[in-house]
Amino acid sequence: MVFDVAYLTAEPLGKTRGNLRIMTTITPVETDASERERGDYEEVAVPVLVIGAGAAGARTAIALAEHGIDSLVIGKRDHGDAHTVWAAGGINAALGSLDPEDDWAIHAADTIDEGHHLNDPTAVETVTRAMPDRIRELDAWGTEFARTPDGTIDQRYFGAQSFRRTCFVGDRTGEAILDTLVGRAQELEIPYRENVMVTELLSDGERVYGAAAYDMEDGHEILFRASHVVLAAGGFSALWSRHSSREDENTGDGPALALEAGADLLDVEFVQFHPTGMVADDEWDDDWNGRLVTEAVRGEGGRLYNADGERFMERYSPDQMELDARDVVARAIQAEVDAGRGTDNGGVYLDISHRDRSFLKERLPRMYERFQSLGVDLAAEPVEIAPTAHYTMGGVDVDFTTGETGVDRLYAVGETTAGVHGANRLGGNSLAETVALGKIVGDHIATAYAPQRTDPLPERIRAAAEHEFDRLAALAAADGGESPQELIEELGELLWDHAGIRRDGPSLADGRAALADLRERARHVGVAGDHTGRPFEFAVDLGFMLTLADVILRTAARRTESRGAHYRTDYPERDPDWRRNVLVTRDGEDLRLSTRTPGTPSERVQRALDEGYELDYHHLE
Amino acid sequence: MSTEVKEKETEQTETESVESSHQSRRMEQKRQRASQRDLEEEAREEIDDADETIEIKVFRFDPEVAGKEEPRFDTFHVPFFKGMTVLDALIYARDHYDSSLTFRHSCRQAICGSDALFVNGTQCLGCKTQIADLEGHLNSTIRIEPLPHQEVVKDLVVDMEHFYDQMEAVEPFFDADELPDGELEEQRQDRENREKIKMSTRCIWCGACMSSCNIAAGDNEYLGPAAINKAYRFAMDEREGENRKQQRLNIIEQEHGVWRCQTQFSCTEVCPKDIPLTEHIQELKREAVKNNLKFW
Repeated sequence: MVFDVAYLTAEPLGKTRGNLRIMTTITPVETDASERERGDYEEVAVPVLVIGAGAAGARTAIALAEHGIDSLVIGKRDHGDAHTVWAAGGINAALGSLDPEDDWAIHAADTIDEGHHLNDPTAVETVTRAMPDRIRELDAWGTEFARTPDGTIDQRYFGAQSFRRTCFVGDRTGEAILDTLVGRAQELEIPYRENVMVTELLSDGERVYGAAAYDMEDGHEILFRASHVVLAAGGFSALWSRHSSREDENTGDGPALALEAGADLLDVEFVQFHPTGMVADDEWDDDWNGRLVTEAVRGEGGRLYNADGERFMERYSPDQMELDARDVVARAIQAEVDAGRGTDNGGVYLDISHRDRSFLKERLPRMYERFQSLGVDLAAEPVEIAPTAHYTMGGVDVDFTTGETGVDRLYAVGETTAGVHGANRLGGNSLAETVALGKIVGDHIATAYAPQRTDPLPERIRAAAEHEFDRLAALAAADGGESPQELIEELGELLWDHAGIRRDGPSLADGRAALADLRERARHVGVAGDHTGRPFEFAVDLGFMLTLADVILRTAARRTESRGAHYRTDYPERDPDWRRNVLVTRDGEDLRLSTRTPGTPSERVQRALDEGYELDYHHLE
Repeated sequence: MSTEVKEKETEQTETESVESSHQSRRMEQKRQRASQRDLEEEAREEIDDADETIEIKVFRFDPEVAGKEEPRFDTFHVPFFKGMTVLDALIYARDHYDSSLTFRHSCRQAICGSDALFVNGTQCLGCKTQIADLEGHLNSTIRIEPLPHQEVVKDLVVDMEHFYDQMEAVEPFFDADELPDGELEEQRQDRENREKIKMSTRCIWCGACMSSCNIAAGDNEYLGPAAINKAYRFAMDEREGENRKQQRLNIIEQEHGVWRCQTQFSCTEVCPKDIPLTEHIQELKREAVKNNLKFW
């Protein structure tokens, strides 16, 4: 069966389907849809549907439940197993436990400085101002934060922050926080449905009505009807070949679903390459490549050495050393490797063996155990690391006072969105964003609408959902020669080579040409007949990923400067005229790229920016 | 019937050479692999090349597929590499021999708790269990089964519903001591207390302990080690409010609670996160006794 990647086609699918299927997903041109028996799907009605069961989704649902609003949280994985559990090092809040002079406005200023002034100031101030309360709340719900000797919440240094502001639970902070949120959600009896994958939002471009999905355990299709839909489905860093996510998470579901439903995307060219990803030893499983070594290793004193044994950060950032911003450290490592001073595997060394074993076990237990299981003793020897795609600053453009996207009743929260982090993200701010904004989105939906019921589904929207189910059935029966997993791997290499740490115009253009080739091959995908298998899931992911890859290559080509995580070798300087965000808008069946200047910070935050606070690495020594 | 490989589709398309730099070598290997597309052949070659191979015997059952409704064992030969885990071996078998082989796995680093299995008669996490650590792994067959005492859904996948219900039965959520109205105040917790509960917070809900417990096997209502550990995690936390703690002790003290435990330590032995489960249960027994005395 031949499949058509309906990419920028002029086919007016919208007229019959409600949705304008512009680019996402692999769509069959030859389908036996007419023979399909209608009505054999499960239908679920719920006032608020929350897509994504990580910290952002959970916190949103908790806010709704506290207002007495029913929601259903759905996740791709098992109970309690969202990507949040991989967030290791910590969560920022200006509590001032150890540095009383810290203040939310300085937290905001640090965030904006790190974001190279492309952040949405409302987003930044909303998060930083709320964080001390969100931490106290997590504390009251039972998160076992590390403590100072007098029993207050301990805080540690993280890169590019002026004070010790990062609260932590060893190096398993995300896991501990999600555990707390899941407990709170259970207490409030919030229903959760696991192993459900959404493939399409039901939208007419103006308003959202629900979602089309399938059950990953037995493969049956589900139509979710909802008055409000919250997208909390993560980012898209797994598109790059070296990445710190699981293979099948952060595959761009959230932004791709939103774009197709009619929402705008923002800042997609900015992806954070974390400086310290694992470099798999020949004898380890390949999957270890790119896995994260938490920033906390450097926060606790870890040092970087090149293959010549030189502590090279002295040359790149003598004041902040290893704890300079992630983009600075990642580029420094790449520059060392490019200059031939890297290891044989293309990395450098991270060394924390000057710390005591007991210290490492207490402060970095997960890292210590992981390396121990691989036969490396952190207390005795350095580990090899290289940069890895870690976090996508870009995503859905939302109003941060409400979480609203441009599509009525569709909201987004967490890594799926853009705006808090600007051109680069501070470590410890992603967990902060999830809980701070999750509450705001939940509160807003509950107070502005108090949805108790689900509206009936317009016929054309139901027809669109049924059309989507037909597409899924046809995709499951696809028997071409291309393996979805291999196409995804090749896409990863393509993005790494053409839209990686160092980019340039011609290479980005070549990347788009190569992408067109991949799209063509995706027409001949083979899935081998099972909705519950991995190939089918990868084929669904591939649709989302092809969409995002195109947006990445286009926005990266558009930004003709270097700023934050986006580095152009042909435009190596920051250009003051480029203090603008690149906005991606659906324009009929095509995309339109435009620019927008971010707002200005409040007086208080501006004052903190003017004060010029910054981390002095030598405090640590 | 074992290690049977379905004929794979061999249609292939010319791959345009994607310009690549540092990873070209890896790409080339991948392309070669893609062009072979004969995974059985690949497995055969890898087995020939491998210094060592192992044999795994895997439980199979699928109530919905004709010919698989009867439980059986399939045997797979897998090339051994240093650092190989039980999960790695299963993935190899699935990817090379039988794509219908079904098991849960996700994070591959003992965080998600989805791949608890019964390997050579012991509960363990597939991703954390080194093949090399299994006795006689090169000479005898490694037997991989679903967790005992739980209903099998398909192959190695068991129904976790009952386990989750028991976890929820102890009301695993926290009410801090009374907070001032509308105010959020940071709770103090001294380091010693945090240390006391630290191990109990490591639970990843894998269900290995419950499956290993003889008492739970005979008494379906027994809360089980994981749920009691969860109760411990809150009851022993000095931030927990008095009323809530009282309520929690009432729950664990009931007929199918802590007193069922006969301190056989099987849960403690299998816990992949090294939580001293039996100790925690014992401590809660003491706490319950103390608690009852208080009302004199």
